[in-house]
Amino acid sequence: MSLSRIERDRNRFRDIVRGRLREDLRRYLSTTELLGRRGERAISIPVPQIELPRLRFGDNNAGGGSGQSAGEAAQGEARAGQGGGQAGEGEGSHLYEVEVELEELARMLGEELELPSIEARGRSQLDTETLRWRGIANQGPASLRHFRRTWRNALRREIASGSYDPHAPRISPLPEDERFRFCKPQSRPQSSAVIFHIMDVSGSMGREQKEIVRIKAFWIDTWLRSQYKNLEVVYIVHDAVAKEVDQDSFFHLRESGGTKISSAYELCLQKIREQYPPEDWNIYPFHYSDGDNWSARDTERCIGLLREELIPRVNQFCYGQVKSAYGSGQFKKDLDGALPGTDRLVTANVNDRDGIREAIRAFLGRGR
Amino acid sequence: MITTHPLDEGLRIEAARIEAAARARGLSFFELVFEMVEPSAVNALCALGGFPLRYPSWRFGMEYDRLEKGRHYGLSKIYELVINNDPVHAYLVSTNSRMEQKLVMAHVCGHADFFANNAWFAPTDRHMLGRMAEHAAWVRDCMEQHGQEPVERFLDSILSLDTLLDPFAPLSEHLQARARDEERGSAVERARRSLDAAMAPENRERRTRGARPRVPSHDVLEFLGQRCELQDWQRELIRIVRAEALYFVPQRMTKIMNEGWACLWHSRLLTGGLLEASEIVDFADCHSGATATRPGQLNPYQFGLDLWRHAERRQLDLFRLRRAHHDASWVDELVDEEFAARHPLFAPAFMPEGQAQGGWKTLKDRIVRDLAWAGTPRIELVDDNHKGAGELLLQHHHDGRDLELAAAAEVLKSIAGLWQRRVHLATQEQGQQRVLSSDGSEVRVEREAAA
Repeated sequence: MSLSRIERDRNRFRDIVRGRLREDLRRYLSTTELLGRRGERAISIPVPQIELPRLRFGDNNAGGGSGQSAGEAAQGEARAGQGGGQAGEGEGSHLYEVEVELEELARMLGEELELPSIEARGRSQLDTETLRWRGIANQGPASLRHFRRTWRNALRREIASGSYDPHAPRISPLPEDERFRFCKPQSRPQSSAVIFHIMDVSGSMGREQKEIVRIKAFWIDTWLRSQYKNLEVVYIVHDAVAKEVDQDSFFHLRESGGTKISSAYELCLQKIREQYPPEDWNIYPFHYSDGDNWSARDTERCIGLLREELIPRVNQFCYGQVKSAYGSGQFKKDLDGALPGTDRLVTANVNDRDGIREAIRAFLGRGR
Repeated sequence: MITTHPLDEGLRIEAARIEAAARARGLSFFELVFEMVEPSAVNALCALGGFPLRYPSWRFGMEYDRLEKGRHYGLSKIYELVINNDPVHAYLVSTNSRMEQKLVMAHVCGHADFFANNAWFAPTDRHMLGRMAEHAAWVRDCMEQHGQEPVERFLDSILSLDTLLDPFAPLSEHLQARARDEERGSAVERARRSLDAAMAPENRERRTRGARPRVPSHDVLEFLGQRCELQDWQRELIRIVRAEALYFVPQRMTKIMNEGWACLWHSRLLTGGLLEASEIVDFADCHSGATATRPGQLNPYQFGLDLWRHAERRQLDLFRLRRAHHDASWVDELVDEEFAARHPLFAPAFMPEGQAQGGWKTLKDRIVRDLAWAGTPRIELVDDNHKGAGELLLQHHHDGRDLELAAAAEVLKSIAGLWQRRVHLATQEQGQQRVLSSDGSEVRVEREAAA
């Protein structure tokens, strides 16, 4: 028996929680609940504690009149009376934190949105060489002597030869007992990817628009992270000029002023040229804007940059247009008009939070 | 498996001393078995309701997970666990200090005496340790035969009904049975008579089908188990769930008394000569930790202990009180003006807004009400042929507290699924009459004038 029974019960419970999570994924796709809960490998997600329905006392609409409060207080007492020390039934709606590995979350996302897995571009994959301790040898330097193996061999030999006395155990390894660790280089295929999140932070992008971008960026990161071992993320914001920022300011910065999209595209191109050569990197720029550009001339310039420079270098260029009260939404029309049928360009409208799902599907649904 | 260890020599001697002292002071209980367990094992046991062998259920896993997290973050610690069984099993946690072990053992003596002597425990199965293991094995077999998912689903739906019992019925049945037995004379004669009765052909049929349950009844679970069209394994699962739920009911009904009683005795016994001088301060610290309470909150340890001390001051017979009462009747009997004047729970300054002007009587009434039906809503099956269409009508005896309607609706669905006809539940919401009714797949809420 490998697992104790209570551990099996616990695993069953965790399975059920994951099932719940999967059912609720649709909701998480349009809220900020999960953001900022991501650790290195796993994410902790609050799910309402699962409870058997029972006939029990409870408030049906919280926040009634003032007469309500006395009743609630009485409730509290009743609970205290029951709660005490006995491990009875859990009460109330506690939140349960469930740890989900990022890979698993990505898998759920993939299942929910029916995302194909990404085929890395047809370039030679990057091989990384690592040294791993993966063997035992009869010879080696004393510093790599495998203590336990050596002594075990010595013990074995002494028992076999009958010289071992359990009442006065004394073992001395001979040279032939000695074992050493040795290492072997191992090459691992590895593919790397870089995401450029480019956001318009001009005055017309409001709080709600930024939230939408944030949620979208979170899920895109999660998905791509599951597809590539080595993922880097570059954040670029722009109004009339573009600059690279860290994650935190990307989401919280509020600039104002005009919009010159080409500035951001130029910065992105410059980064690709300097740091992320397309031979070694799978490149995914995502640009979010409300679709207002400064001038038609600049839009021309953007289209030129995309057609000549960016699109040939990237796996896929995604443009998500977030609807705002001020934006005209012209830029998407211009792109679609100027670059029709371009495989590696995906444009999508996000009108509100519910549109996030579809936009993610549009961006990632091509398996590129 | 949950592994337990016997006590070491030193603790065995302490245990014997404490037990002897307890019996000398008038406590009486079944044989006591102490076992030592690791902290994670006590969490596992606690999640399983104290019993090492239970049927597989995610709910135990959930509770275990919660307790383990609490331990991991240092939020909660369990000192002991005691099971009402003959012999009484008590688990001590290996991380307790020696003084804590002594405290816990004395505390356990109090619980054991309460289990053995409180009237409400009289009808409980004293071989529950074995019984639970039998149930567990049976459910496991059942899962192998019929598949884990369907059995688990059915079990969950039954478990959500396990408060639909009559907490007071087992004792009165127990007393009636005893009275009958005494009327009928000697044990041998009784045995012969019951054997004759069982063998009589006209009785055999009735015996296997079971008596037709009475309506109205609070024991909805029993009713459903006997009257629904079910497969045998489902019927057996209902019986198991009901038996286990009934076993735990007296513990819910006497939580405050029982904990108070155990606290009273651990402090009496330990300060009566069992503690070394060097342990006194740690003991006081530990004891006051267990009986600490926040204003406006009811800590059963502390409230129970204070009430017992109050009874002592009034020169009442404590042993008689602990035999006859359950929490609600006991609080009703003991809380008086003098107690209210002393006790912080009744201090007007700590009372929630709006309650202070009612005075201690209002609060007392509220506590008694909250404890009355073992802390659960009182639901009665009043009609098994409602509207002449074989539908069930359940009546919630509303005492000022509303039901959580969303959960109630789910429960109603389960019942309707079993009964395979419509089921109604009459209740109130904020003073308005409501009738919930379900056909097993959906729930309607009707507003009806009071009948």
